[in-house]
Amino acid sequence: MRKTCLIIATLLASISANAAPNPEMIVVCYPGGLVNAKDANEAMSSMLRVVERVGQWQQNSFISLFTAKADECRQRMAEKHPKFAITSLGLYLELRSQHNLVPVVQPKIKGLTHERYRVMVQKGKYKSLDDLKGKTLGGTVLEEQSYIGKIVFAGKYDPASFFVLKKSNQAIRALRALDKGELDAVILNEQQFGGLGSLHLEKPLEAVFTSEEIPLMGVVANSATTTAEERVRFSKALEGMCADTEGKKLCELFGVEAFAAVDPAVFEPMVKLWAKGG
Amino acid sequence: MLAFVTGCAGLQSAPVRFDRLSDCPKQTADELSAKQSQLGPFSDTHTLECALTVLRDSQDIALLRTSLGSRLCLHLAERETNPEKRAKLAAEGVELAEAALTHKGEDEGAVHYYLAANLGLAVREHITVAMKNLDRLESEMKQALALSPDIDDGGPMRLLGALYLKAPAWPNGIGDLDKALELLEKAVKKHPGHPLNHLFYAQALWSEGDEALLSQVKAEFALGEKLLADGNWGHNKAAWKKEFDAFRQELADAASAPP
Repeated sequence: MRKTCLIIATLLASISANAAPNPEMIVVCYPGGLVNAKDANEAMSSMLRVVERVGQWQQNSFISLFTAKADECRQRMAEKHPKFAITSLGLYLELRSQHNLVPVVQPKIKGLTHERYRVMVQKGKYKSLDDLKGKTLGGTVLEEQSYIGKIVFAGKYDPASFFVLKKSNQAIRALRALDKGELDAVILNEQQFGGLGSLHLEKPLEAVFTSEEIPLMGVVANSATTTAEERVRFSKALEGMCADTEGKKLCELFGVEAFAAVDPAVFEPMVKLWAKGG
Repeated sequence: MLAFVTGCAGLQSAPVRFDRLSDCPKQTADELSAKQSQLGPFSDTHTLECALTVLRDSQDIALLRTSLGSRLCLHLAERETNPEKRAKLAAEGVELAEAALTHKGEDEGAVHYYLAANLGLAVREHITVAMKNLDRLESEMKQALALSPDIDDGGPMRLLGALYLKAPAWPNGIGDLDKALELLEKAVKKHPGHPLNHLFYAQALWSEGDEALLSQVKAEFALGEKLLADGNWGHNKAAWKKEFDAFRQELADAASAPP
């Protein structure tokens, strides 16, 4: 989801005010990713400038504040009270009440606005998720354990007590460890699963668990500090982005076909699952 | 000219015009070839510009098949403060390296090395162009590593390691911290006298995000910084110092950040 995070952060600039002496802070949270914050902010800044030029907005209307740590994201959200933010679904569900967050726009990737998570093992080694009780599980998405337990496993498994968790900030390292037999299983998001074909692992892998469809998270807004007009304006700007000549290059670069206005009903089942998980 | 740079998507190529060319000494291609090893970080900028001008106008295959043109462009690009001119000089360096390869360059490893270094410099200001050229960068650096691993104090190891460190990680890109650590550790061990080998290795260790490695990060950084301060690195010194300063700041920011 890093690519999505970065491009959404860029696009966010296009709803800024025409004159912005004080740039609006956008908090960008990418929990679990191996991303240098400085590099990420530079990349986002490059893209922000393109969008500002294309959208005829004043340069430097927005600045980004990037973090790959969930704890730091919580802290930054509390400190900065951003009008808009880019979060994971897990952080949105956790922080939505505290910061009056509402989803605004979703990315569409390979025609879909949802994804599935999979638990991968060496082929033939384990038959089901239940076989992995007490076994080691790696993956970048384990940065958000509550989310994995409540949403991905739909409350049926508590990752911390069911597995021996081996968090990693690099999916490729976790998969190499799985290949060598140093890990029993690795949990992957859709993008990581889709990239498996490009790896040259010795042992074939298979999924022993595939989650239900989970909506892709995009941009959220604080409904108490933004107006409905601002949110609509923002959503429209993003929806038109991938049709723009310059914006199209960015969209292609990041594998995002389009941005779609959020249907709030899509996230309702997630909110219920989260609440059910306590 | 751009069409000549096959495979390097989106490079802006147009020769940068230099001032004071009338002050340049009259040089033939043979004379330039004879003194090419003297042209480098210790040469003044005007001397490099004069040499590149001779090379631009030359039809001498023996000269054009060397890495000299690409190397001159790299040195000039690294000194250039105007981003647009820098990108153009680096793009020209890519072109000249391509031309050398078509003439079956005798120091092919060096040609691939300077091609990759110029390409990296040419695209670094433009994320979309950079992303489109990642595979090409990796391929050129791998060829340089296979043919001339020790050129420029382990330059191919250093550049390829830095590429794996900085590029977006799998599945979004070719970035791979394991490969970066392996290459940069090797560069430090085989070529311990180059400051950037230590700086890049420190940055790779830092990317692990492991508190236990902090003392090693600081030790590598300090060693590289001392080598830079004590050594005579010519015109490279100022640019490299900026890289050290930026990483020192990153470490300081992390130390002062709330837990």
